[in-house]
Amino acid sequence: MIPLQSNSETPFPSIIADLLGLDASEPAVLIVLSVVAAGVIATVLLTMTAVLGIWGKRKITAAFTDRIAVNRHGPYGLLIIPADAVRLLSKELIVPSEVDRPAWDLAPLIIASSALLGFAVIPFGHGLQLADPEIGLAYVFAVASIASLGLLMAGYASNNKFSFLGGLRAVAQNLAYEIPLVITGASVVIFAGSLRMSTIVEVQQQTLVSLGGIAIPSWFAFVNPFAFALFLIANLAEVGRNPFDIPEAPTEIVAGYQTEYSSVYFVLIYLGEFIHIFLGGAIIATIFLGGASGPVLPGVVWFFIKMISVYLFTQWARSAVPRVRVDQLIQIGWKGMLVLSFANLVLTAVIVGVAAA
Amino acid sequence: MSLEEPDDPLATRDVGVTEEGVDYDALADLLGDTVIDRESHVNAEGFVVRPDEVQDALFALRDEAGFDHCACVTAQDYDDRYESIYHLRKYDDPTQEVSVVVPSPKSDPVSQTAEPVYRTADWHEREAYDLVGIDYEGHPDMRRILLPETWQGHPLSQDFSGEEPQVVTLREHANPLADDKRSEDDPDTMFINIGPHHPATHGVLHVETVLDGEQIAHVEPDIGYLHRCEEQMCQQGTYRHQIMPYPDRWDYVSAGILNEWAYARAAEDLADIEVPEYAQVIRTMSAEMSRIAAHMLALGTFALDVFGDFTAVFQYAFRDREVVQDLLEDLTGQRLMFNYLRLGGVAWDLPEPREEFFEKTRDFLDDMPEKLKEYHNLVTSNEIFQMRCVDTGILPPEEAKQYGATGPVARGSGIDYDLRRDDPYGYYSELDWDVVTEDGCDNYARVLCRMQEVEQSARIIEQCVDLLEDWPEDERDIQANVPRTLRPDPDTEIYRAVEAAKGELGIYIRSDGTDKPARFKIRSPCFSNLQTLPVMSEGEFVPDMIASLGSLDIVLGEVDR
Repeated sequence: MIPLQSNSETPFPSIIADLLGLDASEPAVLIVLSVVAAGVIATVLLTMTAVLGIWGKRKITAAFTDRIAVNRHGPYGLLIIPADAVRLLSKELIVPSEVDRPAWDLAPLIIASSALLGFAVIPFGHGLQLADPEIGLAYVFAVASIASLGLLMAGYASNNKFSFLGGLRAVAQNLAYEIPLVITGASVVIFAGSLRMSTIVEVQQQTLVSLGGIAIPSWFAFVNPFAFALFLIANLAEVGRNPFDIPEAPTEIVAGYQTEYSSVYFVLIYLGEFIHIFLGGAIIATIFLGGASGPVLPGVVWFFIKMISVYLFTQWARSAVPRVRVDQLIQIGWKGMLVLSFANLVLTAVIVGVAAA
Repeated sequence: MSLEEPDDPLATRDVGVTEEGVDYDALADLLGDTVIDRESHVNAEGFVVRPDEVQDALFALRDEAGFDHCACVTAQDYDDRYESIYHLRKYDDPTQEVSVVVPSPKSDPVSQTAEPVYRTADWHEREAYDLVGIDYEGHPDMRRILLPETWQGHPLSQDFSGEEPQVVTLREHANPLADDKRSEDDPDTMFINIGPHHPATHGVLHVETVLDGEQIAHVEPDIGYLHRCEEQMCQQGTYRHQIMPYPDRWDYVSAGILNEWAYARAAEDLADIEVPEYAQVIRTMSAEMSRIAAHMLALGTFALDVFGDFTAVFQYAFRDREVVQDLLEDLTGQRLMFNYLRLGGVAWDLPEPREEFFEKTRDFLDDMPEKLKEYHNLVTSNEIFQMRCVDTGILPPEEAKQYGATGPVARGSGIDYDLRRDDPYGYYSELDWDVVTEDGCDNYARVLCRMQEVEQSARIIEQCVDLLEDWPEDERDIQANVPRTLRPDPDTEIYRAVEAAKGELGIYIRSDGTDKPARFKIRSPCFSNLQTLPVMSEGEFVPDMIASLGSLDIVLGEVDR
């Protein structure tokens, strides 16, 4: 069996190289294999988005709201996925007059790609990790927040006042919640002593306590549940789901920054949103839930279970929780979350420092 | 409160109040020279007032005699004159009514505005100007309200010809985007059209909004997109059968029977028809079923506005509304456009087998407390929901009265006004139930009010079912003896209202001796309630305005008629 972690800087391409009997230390080979590996990961993610975004979301929401949802297209309505794909892609791309191009065209690309880029350093388990750089966690946060730029561009370039309001709201929200998100992530780094994703996962494999013969691993969600809760909430705001779906707020500002997008651009924005949710789930799984570890089932399955659980959580919140108001959102962010996350960071640093001493 | 009582102006507002009702002679003395004639309407005396002394008369009636509720302004066109009627009543006791009749000459139909006395007259007079063509002098904003600005002529006036085409080129229509309407002294504001196509306007409502950042600097509802000439259509139908289907289409979200009752009550009082007691009980029961269905929808859509999506609460509310909808379908044969009431009774008796219907109804009532608890768990006790709704959309009681707010909107502002109790009709006075009021004056109070009203409606239905179950079989008269063609005496006028789902739904009818009404005027509760939107939302955030709009629970079919 392939070990959960590998020591390579580029684990997944190296595995492919081993399988094909090629030498991964050769730069040209590494580049080609990296592209192939990235293609594999991206395909898995896009398939996941198609299933969970088009079909799963409907079924989940329906379950929450006493409905049945799609059931006429193939078994369990699964054929809605190709049907919807064709429908969305074959719609006319309407470009409103006086939109600010090319900013208007670039925005959906930025939103979708920034989320995808984050997955480059996510360890899915068994070495299924494109790259494992020293600064893994910092890299994920950095590329994920590029999406804010896309949202602002979309809102500003659309020449629509609802889009404009939505874009401003999106940026205000991302600013207010990205800082607590990163600060809380930093508290994990203090525990783990490293920004490298594989190290963070490894540290969590030690046994925290043994309860009646069952070893509870030291997942950071168990070690520091407070930080876990903070991160979950900040993540909800980061991906813009209830109670923090202010940037879109359908009943207030129509659809926010995405009001004027149709057809392929709309698909890209939606894709970006879903992949962002999955990325949030992947980060949480990696730094709080022990990454790809778990009993019986293979690690990679556990990783996807954890990731999809976070997705389910966002859908649950969406179905059951009212939306906060925009000023309340900012207040919660700057006056509540920021203070709490700094308190958490300082406390963690002190505890870790004392323990080390 | 008791300390302030000596200064309370209400203490002196009792001119004309006697044990038996209003003493109109005392009111005539109060009005003095402004009165030039007196008329007798079925519901109240009418004082004819000179068109340039309207405000004097109304101020006197409001401040001295306590008529603080301008229910409706009816305008009509006679052969020799135009006429505006102000239907006044009291929030404390709506059976005390008086009409102020203002004739204005045919050649120059100008009349003094009542807007400074009753703010609600603003929209009512605009409607009168729009449809009938009376010009109100001193009105702050004399524009058309229901028809487009470019409309030619006044469709309810006698010289209007429906034959001539309305030729208006596209160029003449105002372009809502052309003029950005920023206020001159504050260039930082932004004008935005919320609606007529917007996810949160509950139909085709257009809210012209000026934003200062995210805050609302100015808001003005623009209505008329769903105007379907309901008044005119009712004037073209015969009393006996042809009018009854229309009320279902005013407040069309399953409050149909309540609306039908408004017409039935006005027409029955006009033609002196006694309704058999058995039919009254059935009416009461079915009307309360309609109210539950309407309030469930109000709760669901309000949750939609605050939660932000078609979430669990919306679906649950619709699921529960479906049960009562099924009951109504069993009873009337229809789900929305019931057309169940008839002048003098109802269309048919309870469905056979009766036991099954009673059992279904009882099951529904038995499940009700459990369901309401679920809503309280999910909605009203949710902290974020409270954060959003408590102390937003404030409507002080005095403002509410000025705007003629009624129904849950008024009761959510602590105004104890419910026509089912205060101006009894049907079988309500025989039953044991309470009027719900909440003192919060905010969005939260209005929602709570509706949820508690559902409980009260369930109580009423339960008692009606008990009564109907034990009703002797040979006394089940569902219909009084009403002539096939109804011709009320010429020149009788009546204004009668019932407590519909949204508030006081009133009908004014003037007969001219034919089998069709000469003037049929609908006093829609939503029309008056919607006027309070600027009071509620100016200075607050966009989401608060959306929540206030949801808590007003308007149905555009009733606003625009």
